[in-house]
Amino acid sequence: MKFFLSTISVSAVLLLSAAGFAQNQVVLKTQLPAPLFVGTPAPLNVPNLEPPMRGKRPDFYIPSGTINLARNKKVTSSDNNPDVGTLDMIVDGDKDGNEGSWVELGPGKQWVQIDLARSANIYAVLIWHFHSQARVYRDVAVQVSDDPTFRSGVTTIFNNDFHNDLGLGAGKDLNYIETYQGKLIDAKGVKGRYIRLFSNGNTSNKLNHYIEVEVWGKPAA
Amino acid sequence: MGQAGRLKWSIGPDEVPEWARWAAFLLVALLGLAIRLPQLGARPMHTDEAINAFIVGQLLAGESFRYDPQDRHGPVLAAFALPLVRIQGAKAFSDLTESELRLTTVLSGTVTILLFGASVEMFGFAPCLIAALLFATAPLPVYYDRYFIHESLFAAATFGLILTAWRACKKRSTAQAALAAACAALMLACKETAFLHLFALAAAAFVFWRWNLRGRSPSGLWRPKAALAGVAVFLLLSVILFSWFGSNWKALAALLQAVPNLLARAGGEGHQKPFWYFTQLLTGGLSGGLISVLALISFFRTTRKRDSSAFGFLAFYALFLAVIYSLIPYKTPWLALNFWLPIALFAGLGIELLWRMPAKYSAFRIPIRAVCIAVGAALAVLVAHDTRQRVFLHAADETNPYAYAHTSEDLLGLPAEIERLAHQDAFAAPRIAVIAADPWPLPWYLRHFSEVGFWQPGQTPGKADFYLTSTEAADELGDQLQDFRPDFFGLRPGVLIVLWAPAPK
Repeated sequence: MKFFLSTISVSAVLLLSAAGFAQNQVVLKTQLPAPLFVGTPAPLNVPNLEPPMRGKRPDFYIPSGTINLARNKKVTSSDNNPDVGTLDMIVDGDKDGNEGSWVELGPGKQWVQIDLARSANIYAVLIWHFHSQARVYRDVAVQVSDDPTFRSGVTTIFNNDFHNDLGLGAGKDLNYIETYQGKLIDAKGVKGRYIRLFSNGNTSNKLNHYIEVEVWGKPAA
Repeated sequence: MGQAGRLKWSIGPDEVPEWARWAAFLLVALLGLAIRLPQLGARPMHTDEAINAFIVGQLLAGESFRYDPQDRHGPVLAAFALPLVRIQGAKAFSDLTESELRLTTVLSGTVTILLFGASVEMFGFAPCLIAALLFATAPLPVYYDRYFIHESLFAAATFGLILTAWRACKKRSTAQAALAAACAALMLACKETAFLHLFALAAAAFVFWRWNLRGRSPSGLWRPKAALAGVAVFLLLSVILFSWFGSNWKALAALLQAVPNLLARAGGEGHQKPFWYFTQLLTGGLSGGLISVLALISFFRTTRKRDSSAFGFLAFYALFLAVIYSLIPYKTPWLALNFWLPIALFAGLGIELLWRMPAKYSAFRIPIRAVCIAVGAALAVLVAHDTRQRVFLHAADETNPYAYAHTSEDLLGLPAEIERLAHQDAFAAPRIAVIAADPWPLPWYLRHFSEVGFWQPGQTPGKADFYLTSTEAADELGDQLQDFRPDFFGLRPGVLIVLWAPAPK
């Protein structure tokens, strides 16, 4: 009887929690571009490598009312004269993998910074660097801050620069192969107005590319 | 033939003293050498280059060349490279460097430039000098003369064959016939595509004889003694080279498989391209269009006039070659080097025709000359721009049409990273296991490590300090890589290799 009651109690708590979760959380829905290479690079299924995405990415939940705050916002960069494209293409909503949809920054370490116009709670950042062929971008790091110079109040939400080439500290996140689904980073509701994204060339060349960046969040209260 | 039939506006060989001619061509050859030598080792080794380097390494180790029509071309490249790398001090595969190996093809490209000087009797002084200048400086010949594959030697041997066969016919010379046969044997011992070229040359000679020479008696063109000498030299040199100086007679039986293999490969094997691929490649860049237009002007003029000069023969050769290569689905960009002999010569003739037009239209002398100077200046600037971009600034970039399935520059960091990690983890001689279906060009980049093993996916590699796997093979290793951290390196555009290093404790 005691076991029966405790089971009932636990089940009730779980059901109530799920109901509450369902009321406040929604699935992040973004428009995905068409995949551009047939025979997506074979997924890697080993313990300490990022699990591959077989088919569609698992649903990622964000609070209801969360929107892409980056759309058409101001973008600056360590390379303000890109070799190909313009910085505003990073937040124009075009995620197509073909030429004409990406911006190409110079070789080596580069960053782009998005000004969300006001401080916000950020729940997810989605990045499309390049997805017309299998590539890995080196030293990908994403930081959030209310300081446009990123000297204070900086939170690093992703960093796979395990050599510390960027000087942000050695990262522990995993390398990943670019795909048309983009890289989703769980920002865990971190607060900030500015998002800075770093990279340091890629496995095909020394250049840095961005097709699109989405910053999903809600303006801070 | 030749002298009498040459286009009337051309400068004849007698109008330029021999010493001046050779001084000019020597200068152009030196210019070509000066453009080909800088940063010779900077571009990553393409897979084909790495395989050729490995063969040279086998020869350095005392092995003989094993001809295999399935996987290898002929022995000529290795035969020329071996003494050159030895002179430079290489004693083993691990001693070899990119620039040591590529010097072989740089020198063969320089010989090709000099052969234009030897062709003045055939094509005239000005077209040959302009052609030599174009060959010395234009992006495509410069690029593939710095590429350790067979094409550069093949082009030189083809040019040698055309030149000596023409002389053999003109002078009825047995020695020239023997030289022509030697060139043909070198072509065959370079690449099996020699069959296509020999067919195109024979067909061009026949049509030229029937159409341009109007079926003139062939008895004045060749002698049975010369033909016999040619056949003997061709057979002898082919046997010597393919059997690797008598050490591998099985190669002669394998040679019989060359044609069936060539036919099978012609189907594409993943290298299928549309028929206009070479046209697109040759007219590309800023300079390609202008060079092609100049070449086409003189090509059409030559064919229209049923020219009995060597250009008449060259036009048919170029035409047949273009048809054959365009129809065959298998196409790689370095094959375009073969078109560059006729293109350079016809472009040279085109420029000379323009320059000498005032002789016909004297009223327009000044504007025509001004146009010629402008065209020449534009050509020089455009060629310089394209060569700088394609040969030096973006040599391995996937946007460069000459860099075909090329090894990524990213891979250059792999040996250094393994060395750094080995030093960090105090591995004196790190054991490296490579598991990939196609590991090339990794054997080249790992040549300085003494403990390297290669496995196919599905095989179980031994215990190692570092693993290098294709993205597919990594899946199979699972638990074996539990304590390793992955890092990606670009092998080729769209192809990644994963370096598994011991995870930091």
